[in-house]
Amino acid sequence: MQRVLPHPERPERPTLWRSLDELAATPEFIEKLEREFPDGAAEWHGGELSRRNFLQLMGASMALAGIGLTGCRRPEAHLVAFTGSAEWTIPGKFLYYATSQPRRQGAMPLIATTSDGRPTKVEGNPLHPGSNGATDAFAQASVLDLYDPNRSKAFVQGGKQAAAPAFWAAVDKVRETSGADGGAGLAFLVERTDSPTRDRLLAQLRKKFPKMLWAEYEPLGSMGAEVAAASCFGAGVAVAPDFSRADKVLAVDSDFLNASFSDIEQVRSFMSRRRISAPGQPMNRLYVAETRYTSTGGLADHRLRIKPSEVGSFLRALGENIAKLTGDASLNTVVSAFPAGAPSANAEWIAECAKDLAESKGKSLVVAGGQQPESIHALVFAINTALGANGTALRGMMANRPQAASILDLTDAMKSGRVQSLFILGGNPVYNAPADLNFGDLLGAVPFSVRLGMYEDETSAVAKWHVPQAHYLESWGDARSSDGTVCAVQPMILPLWDGVNELEILNRLAGNPEPIGPQLVRDTFAATAKGGDLETQWKEFLRQGFLPSTAWPEAALHFNADAAALAAARHPKTPEGLEVAFVPSNSLDDGRYSNNGWLQETPDFVTKITWDNAALVSPATAKSLSIATGDMLELSADGRSIEAAALITPGHADGAISIALGYGRKDVTHLSDKVGFNAYPLRTSGGMLFASNVSLRRTGATHGFAETQTHQSMEGRDLVREGTAERYAEDPTFAQTMGMDGHIPPNISLFTHPPLTSPQQWGMVVDLSTCIGCNACLVACQSENNIPIVGKEQVSRGRHMAWIRMDRYFAGDENDPEMLAQAIMCQHCENATCETVCPVNATVHSEDGLNLMVYNRCIGTRYCANNCPWKVRRFNFFDYNQRPLDQLYLGPLAKKGMAESLQMSKNPNVTVRMRGVMEKCTYCIQRIEEGRIAHSIQAGAADKSEIPFPEVKTACQQACPSEAIVFGNINDLESRVVRLKGEPRNYEMLKYLNERARTTYLARIKNPNMHMPGADKVGWANGHSHHGGGHGAPAGHATEAHGA
Amino acid sequence: MSEGTAVMDASSAAAKRIERAPLVTNNRTMSWISDRVASCTERRAPTWWWITFTLTSSLAVVSLLCIAYLISTGVGVWGLNHPIGWAWDITNFVFWIGIGHAGTLISAILYLARQKWRTSINRAAEAMTLFAVVCAGIFPMIHVGRIWMVWFLAPVPTSMGIWQNFRSPLLWDVFAVSTYFTVSILFWYTGLVPDLATLRDRATTKIRKFFYGIGALGWRGGNRQWKHYEMAYLILAGLSTPLVLSVHSVVSFDFATSVIPGWHTTIFPPYFVAGAIFGGFAMVLTIMLPARAIFGLHDLITDDHVDKMCKIILLTGSMVGYAYAMEFFIAWYGGNLFEQYAFINRATGPYWWAYWSMIFCNVVSPQLFWFRRMRRHVLPVFIVCMFVNAGMWFERFVIIVTSLHRDFLPSSWNMFYPTWVDIWTFTGTFGIFLTLFLLFIRWLPMICIFEVKAVLPEADPHYHGHHKATIEGGGH
Repeated sequence: MQRVLPHPERPERPTLWRSLDELAATPEFIEKLEREFPDGAAEWHGGELSRRNFLQLMGASMALAGIGLTGCRRPEAHLVAFTGSAEWTIPGKFLYYATSQPRRQGAMPLIATTSDGRPTKVEGNPLHPGSNGATDAFAQASVLDLYDPNRSKAFVQGGKQAAAPAFWAAVDKVRETSGADGGAGLAFLVERTDSPTRDRLLAQLRKKFPKMLWAEYEPLGSMGAEVAAASCFGAGVAVAPDFSRADKVLAVDSDFLNASFSDIEQVRSFMSRRRISAPGQPMNRLYVAETRYTSTGGLADHRLRIKPSEVGSFLRALGENIAKLTGDASLNTVVSAFPAGAPSANAEWIAECAKDLAESKGKSLVVAGGQQPESIHALVFAINTALGANGTALRGMMANRPQAASILDLTDAMKSGRVQSLFILGGNPVYNAPADLNFGDLLGAVPFSVRLGMYEDETSAVAKWHVPQAHYLESWGDARSSDGTVCAVQPMILPLWDGVNELEILNRLAGNPEPIGPQLVRDTFAATAKGGDLETQWKEFLRQGFLPSTAWPEAALHFNADAAALAAARHPKTPEGLEVAFVPSNSLDDGRYSNNGWLQETPDFVTKITWDNAALVSPATAKSLSIATGDMLELSADGRSIEAAALITPGHADGAISIALGYGRKDVTHLSDKVGFNAYPLRTSGGMLFASNVSLRRTGATHGFAETQTHQSMEGRDLVREGTAERYAEDPTFAQTMGMDGHIPPNISLFTHPPLTSPQQWGMVVDLSTCIGCNACLVACQSENNIPIVGKEQVSRGRHMAWIRMDRYFAGDENDPEMLAQAIMCQHCENATCETVCPVNATVHSEDGLNLMVYNRCIGTRYCANNCPWKVRRFNFFDYNQRPLDQLYLGPLAKKGMAESLQMSKNPNVTVRMRGVMEKCTYCIQRIEEGRIAHSIQAGAADKSEIPFPEVKTACQQACPSEAIVFGNINDLESRVVRLKGEPRNYEMLKYLNERARTTYLARIKNPNMHMPGADKVGWANGHSHHGGGHGAPAGHATEAHGA
Repeated sequence: MSEGTAVMDASSAAAKRIERAPLVTNNRTMSWISDRVASCTERRAPTWWWITFTLTSSLAVVSLLCIAYLISTGVGVWGLNHPIGWAWDITNFVFWIGIGHAGTLISAILYLARQKWRTSINRAAEAMTLFAVVCAGIFPMIHVGRIWMVWFLAPVPTSMGIWQNFRSPLLWDVFAVSTYFTVSILFWYTGLVPDLATLRDRATTKIRKFFYGIGALGWRGGNRQWKHYEMAYLILAGLSTPLVLSVHSVVSFDFATSVIPGWHTTIFPPYFVAGAIFGGFAMVLTIMLPARAIFGLHDLITDDHVDKMCKIILLTGSMVGYAYAMEFFIAWYGGNLFEQYAFINRATGPYWWAYWSMIFCNVVSPQLFWFRRMRRHVLPVFIVCMFVNAGMWFERFVIIVTSLHRDFLPSSWNMFYPTWVDIWTFTGTFGIFLTLFLLFIRWLPMICIFEVKAVLPEADPHYHGHHKATIEGGGH
């Protein structure tokens, strides 16, 4: 990665030679060399990518990825084929490059792993201040998007394939015609990304076309929070929570712990106060008020279920209490300006919560979901000001983002016919714009429209031009992370299907010459970087992936109570009746990942359904409306209606339904086709958050869900163990003496076990206190280990292949239960029951304590899986890698083979399994072996035991945003894994079986406020008795809402 | 008097009153027995045979087609899923292998125990054993994911230098079942030799003479040959006897040595053996009763035979019932939460119907056999046997599926639903079984001619000094 480039000059005569002819480089010898590999001999015809193209692509990406370091993307003349390897590559060895994934909430800084020129995996960039090297599910899955064979591959004009030059000519024409009237007919609709280069080009365009319209739209953006911050704290000011400085946190409809929707820095700072290493240590306290269960709610010490419309009255009541307790006048102003609703039924909860927050003045914080309106955020800022959070737990930043219009401004202009040329760069407004805007019809009436997108979707069908978009791993760019730090977006490979990136279109419109390689980004960089040699700085920028000290400057937070009161007064009134909340999909976001099989098949961590969304409804509401899981519902409001299947979900607020956005697309892409239910048609610009006064009708039809977990209760078994901070301080070993573990005699083996001789003995600890259940580990594992997807039908049969799964249990009252999450992967038992029963020795133990799976030896009796108490083994019931998922049952008559682009996405270090073999978590043995090789090389002739073994991280561990998964050598007493295993809350599941699992768990510690209503139940999911509920304590039998 | 009946004088008739009931009724003569049994193979095949044969062989073909589909497409064509790695496949395996046990018990253990009544049923029961083992052997073979690698189970030296895992009960199964099949076929064939010679001697066509001649291995019925025969048969009976106990014990180890609640039970070996004999006798009766009716063999397979078999069914059925009860007791007494749940779930969980079907068929229905009239009446016997056949299948299904579908971690709990391939593969094995049986009754003597003759009163002329029976020439 840090090699000195460019290529050293080739000596005129070879220094190593095979014959005297070669040494002399005689013409005969050269001819002979050429004859040995005649033209075209290696070419393999057929398929989407020919072998030659493939090599070209690989070579090209190699060249540009490498030469990228020197700051210049060379013309294709410099492509290096693998027959004459580039000097810095070792075939089969990974190369790592820094890049980042642009997101609406700020770029995710990444390190991309490339193998022979193909990016196969991404990890977080550990150098970046806002990352600990962690990622989230979306970033992990984005690699698959790159190779998605359903991606758009051609320019399309009016439904017909067109040539790229024709498109560029059309853009040139727009530039010329728009120039005449100052761009009055020119409009843009873009996605939210803080890209300095885009901002620079935007400035150029605005100069050139002063009357153009530049609109931004994100269906799940956080506009309310931004507008409120600007009005309450001054223009350009943005705020960010710093949970590391908060003892008490109240989150209102905010899923800030789900890294997919917030950012990793927030998770990390919260967890730094959540994680305790010894009994009696202080930890933070989390209050959550929300409609549906989120991962944040799952981790809460106290959780309150409120309807979406109750957020206002809840916060108003809280504000009132806090204003009383703190005597804060400006809060009083804002609270009284905020329209009063019906008195809250949760007065006691609110009062105690307010008291607790106010007690820790200066160390407490209230956060509201970014999607909440300006009025709510104004009230929250007032509360935070009263709590003294400004400048401590709430940081202000001067974010100078360029102004952008909203989609409403754009549609107004479109309605009036002012828009002549519209460039939709990314996004999919025809699908996801508010329903009342009728965006599709308006777009159809625009004379010239261009749609840049990764897929030919709903918007492409209406737009005059569709332009294939380059993936972020195939294009140059830059983007700011949430703290404002400028991150590099480096391509890892040439565009697989000639995709274009938005910067190229903007650049063309600005009339600039066609950029060569990273020129656009480099030009921006030249303006940003200060002092020193530009070339060196640029290299460092690319190597490191970001430019330090470009974070937004700090801004003092001066709360403007009058402006806040004005904003608060605008809080809308909500009519009575059933409410339908529109929530982001944990799998597909706003629908942008809907053709991503990994994400489609990753179960939602609360509902555990895959390949679907659902109308989530609480058990009590379901009862009152006589709805059962699977019933098709017609939900209508204001003459708009949608259909969706009901799913009874414990912990949901009564009187409301939640439905995830991003589903229900038809005839767009292969994998998203007819998956789930489209909620956008019910979502209007006035009700982006929820629709109120919804009428519900059962259509009589039913729908089947594909769930990966059909049983919701722990049945009184102490699988996930939890306790309160108080209990932990009083009885530190409570987790080790819970249930059966309290009275079983010590395990004795009837025979002596073969010694495990390696100096490295691998083990793992999962901290349930900090595990959010965000699924990042699941997708990371899928990406790292080439785990196939199996499709909805197979998942509903119980044949999903995930090597690591997120078990989720509910405990307590079925309407308001506690939620517990537990990551389960192969436990690598020293005394593994799977190993004894395999008749052919296909699963055996290694000297370093791994439970190995020998695919070549496996005949597929499935006995090992039957005998695994954790049920972590996965069987290939069909040839999932070779056959299309809709033709699995056709056997040899089905189409055979994997799309060539998907073949490129595979990790070359992990076998792709065939049908009929068993597979399971290997503790990422390929990474361990890489470490072992590096160790051996480093040691050379020296004694290996004197050289430290390089740190090995499993894919799940590396991805985990909250560092809940820790892997390491349990023989190394200095290692973190040993330290954690030494904690008194460390326990082994199913200990009585004497399996001696290498994976152990740290019990979840909760920190309830004993004054809160229902506090006596918090942290007692295992029941109050010594026996841990094993004998019918209240923990068991919580619910089987949609049970087996 | 009917044809082929020996003339008895009054004194022997008086002596009869204090004797045991004769094993062959109506005082059938030796030649009648030879004629009656051999004629089944010598007459033209009756129409019913052809009709039945067509049906059963079609069913067998269905099974083979399902197997071809399974192998070409993947194990996923069955209804298996992640917690439930075995369901109908291993259920069927254990069901069929259990059925075989009655045959071996009748031929070997009853032989060693000098139970003479076994003679008229042992041949057919042994044939049934073989055919059941054939059906059983199919399932472990085809249930694997990669059947083309199944030779990894054979301990042959290869360049890979990997041995089998001798700790795995599945490997013990391979040895147990193959041993069982080998010994059973030898035992059966050895017993067939004298009868094949009879058929050879009676043959009227060259082809029959040739084939039965080969099968008879040159049997002449000489003293020396009989001596060797008796010794060989005794040794094989001795070899088979432990197999009756060991094979199903080994099969039960598949479950008993695992850690899964509901499987991990020390009671399994005796319980499985009792269950196998129980189910096997039911199957013997299921097949023999129609065969007896069709071929008019009531004098050879008498109501006494049926009565005795019913008693065995009652005995073993009660043992099985005791085992069911004991499992529950131990689950409670053991205090293990997981075990307790497994058994409560069996009786009250989603598969309660399978459990209670099993209880009704295996424990309740054989109680009819406490009544002598029920044991001696064809219809109730046949109905109860059908219940037992079904019940024994349910027993294995309950053990396998209810234990797997809800084990330790409730997060993995799931349900098993069979597919049409599951159903037809299993149904088709009845086709294979019955086809083989039909071929057997068509071409081989279904009753051991020479052994039945040996239990006739005339076979033991010196038992009563005044015995005056007219002895006609025997067939051997």
